[in-house]
Amino acid sequence: MALEAKFMEMGAGDILRCAQEHKAAGWRFVQLLCTNTDDGIDVQYSYMKDQLIENWTVKGVSKEDHLPSITGEFLAAFVFENESHDLFGVQIDNIAIDFGGRFYDLAMAEPMTVISPEQKAAREKAAKIAAAKAAKEQQAAAGAPAAGADADLEAKLAGMDPEKAAKVRAAMAAKAKKDVAGKAASADAELEAKLAGMDPEKAAKVRAAMEAKKARAAAQQETEGKGE
Amino acid sequence: MSTFKLGKMTFAGLFKKPETIQYPVQHRFVPEGLKGHIAVDMEHCILCGICMKRCPTHAIEVDKKAGQWSIDRFRCIQCGHCTRECPKGCLTMEPTYAPVAAEKHRDVFEKPAAAPEPAAAEA
Amino acid sequence: MGKATVIPFGPQHPVLPEPLHLDLVVEDEKVIEAIPQIGFIHRGLEKLVETRDYNQFIYVAERICGICAFGHSMGYAETVERLMGIEIPDRAKMLRVIWHELSRVHSHILWMGLAADAFGFESLFMHCWRLRERVLDLFEATTGGRVIFSVVRVGGVNRDISDEQLKQFVDVLDGIKGEYKEICDTFLTDRSVKNRTVGVGYISYDDALAMSMVGPFVRASGVKQDVRMLRNDGYAFLDGFEPVIDPQGDCYARVKVRALEVLQAIDIIEEMIRKLVPGEIAVPVKGNPADGAEACNVLEQPRGECYYYARGNGTKNLARMRMRTPTSQNLAGMTTALAGCDLADVNMIVLTIDPCISCTER
Repeated sequence: MALEAKFMEMGAGDILRCAQEHKAAGWRFVQLLCTNTDDGIDVQYSYMKDQLIENWTVKGVSKEDHLPSITGEFLAAFVFENESHDLFGVQIDNIAIDFGGRFYDLAMAEPMTVISPEQKAAREKAAKIAAAKAAKEQQAAAGAPAAGADADLEAKLAGMDPEKAAKVRAAMAAKAKKDVAGKAASADAELEAKLAGMDPEKAAKVRAAMEAKKARAAAQQETEGKGE
Repeated sequence: MSTFKLGKMTFAGLFKKPETIQYPVQHRFVPEGLKGHIAVDMEHCILCGICMKRCPTHAIEVDKKAGQWSIDRFRCIQCGHCTRECPKGCLTMEPTYAPVAAEKHRDVFEKPAAAPEPAAAEA
Repeated sequence: MGKATVIPFGPQHPVLPEPLHLDLVVEDEKVIEAIPQIGFIHRGLEKLVETRDYNQFIYVAERICGICAFGHSMGYAETVERLMGIEIPDRAKMLRVIWHELSRVHSHILWMGLAADAFGFESLFMHCWRLRERVLDLFEATTGGRVIFSVVRVGGVNRDISDEQLKQFVDVLDGIKGEYKEICDTFLTDRSVKNRTVGVGYISYDDALAMSMVGPFVRASGVKQDVRMLRNDGYAFLDGFEPVIDPQGDCYARVKVRALEVLQAIDIIEEMIRKLVPGEIAVPVKGNPADGAEACNVLEQPRGECYYYARGNGTKNLARMRMRTPTSQNLAGMTTALAGCDLADVNMIVLTIDPCISCTER
């Protein structure tokens, strides 16, 4: 008899109807939360009965949308509706006890929707790594089977600590240099794409190491060629 | 007139020793796992900087070029996360609290170069 | 027919453990309505998920509140484990339940001391807090901290309790039972306590359901509601669980429910200690939560049901972490209970919801 949780979506017009139906059936109101996403704010209403929790999410609410209040059915929601207004900027009409934006009385308006520059940088880096991983997987699917092993390694690298990833990449690059020139060229191209997502200082170091290795390998190949 | 309900405890309290101790003349028994302050073993530290990345309050700073590991004891919340994340196991939690001070400072430890004892200097 | 005056109550008030402001509309010593105002301790902790990864955030979650510290760290860890699909070893689940129930004992004894202080019985307050010191010593011996423990991690627990420490647990808990029963007796049968609590702040069964209240506050109005009945996680190892309910609905009933819950929690701890299985205490956790994955969890904290929600976004930071604490649900119930009471009873009614405003505002 453990907890069961369900996540479902609904539209903004269904909010009142959902609340009334749940109240009539004897469900309990649990909470109301907002999440800040790239496509607007997700507002989630949770109701609970016995061991089932239903979470109804209204996706993509913008600051101009007016949502109806459910304090008519569940008075306890006034705390969360005022909090949503203060922290996220969601407009809700007819709250039973409405503080008009002075519930938390914050110094900054809607702080949860503010994304700091470091957070933006971190999210962009994650997006680049994910895109590089997807590109690698596409190449691996279309390319030679030998490249498949590379793609697996690349996918693993995308999720690793950048320092370790740089070391592994350097080792992998050294290994790739020993192989056929064409494969080395593709590995280089992949590495360049990955370096685009790395810390610029580290990227410069890795690039310098790569150049040095390339020069050494080229010199070695020349001497070998001359030797033969 | 109701009876004095707390009578038994109050009467027994006349004959028991007090619950409080005379600090700082007497000190309390310190249990073994108490979270007091972080100590570092500089012999085995490789200055990798993982503890600096994992510290939730950014209390630790690792300078690989200068060979220094420093901690701001006033920022440290004694969570012990660094002791578990260190790959060489050179961080431990000691059961004595960091001493009170009039100014905030960092404790800096240097990697021993030739001498075997680590030098601890105030920053 | 008197004139209505508005008396501001709080946020600085000797009886309040946490800053809460109430505007009491009063007519001749009778409170007509009360309008709460919070926001004095909002620290924006939910925004810290953006800069602390999911392993570091547990230390932030613990520090939301001093009394509910273990509850929040355990609830957060369970939610992230559900999000990432991690199954923790049985011994870790049982250890978490032991510490959580001990946290409940601590919280209720602390609350009883504050309630005694609210109606002026200071020596009872001192005795309650003297007993609480024994519980804090137990925490210090097993976790290393008195109030903030840092003993839970995503994937299990950080420390194990040795067999001799378990014996110490049982000894200390048996030791405080004798004195605790005397304190309990005072609360429930003393004439002066009854004068201050019986009939005060009455909330009926139907009102309790309509206000969506949680915790001992609602169990004192006769509603059978306790998350531990769901037998999640570690609570599944218990033989049977019946919540403590009292149908009377006033402050006396709330004191009684909490007083009896302490004895029930001590029984649960002793049962868990007998059933403790040997094994691992943590599993290693690799990887990040998947993008768009959601999980929710409920936990019965000393103050009521606490709801946790987590959403991942593919990186090591969570996209959203939400802790809906029991006091925020009970604020509506508190305003209803305050309507129609005497001005001198406001202290007692505000304290009987066990306000933890730092949890409400994070």
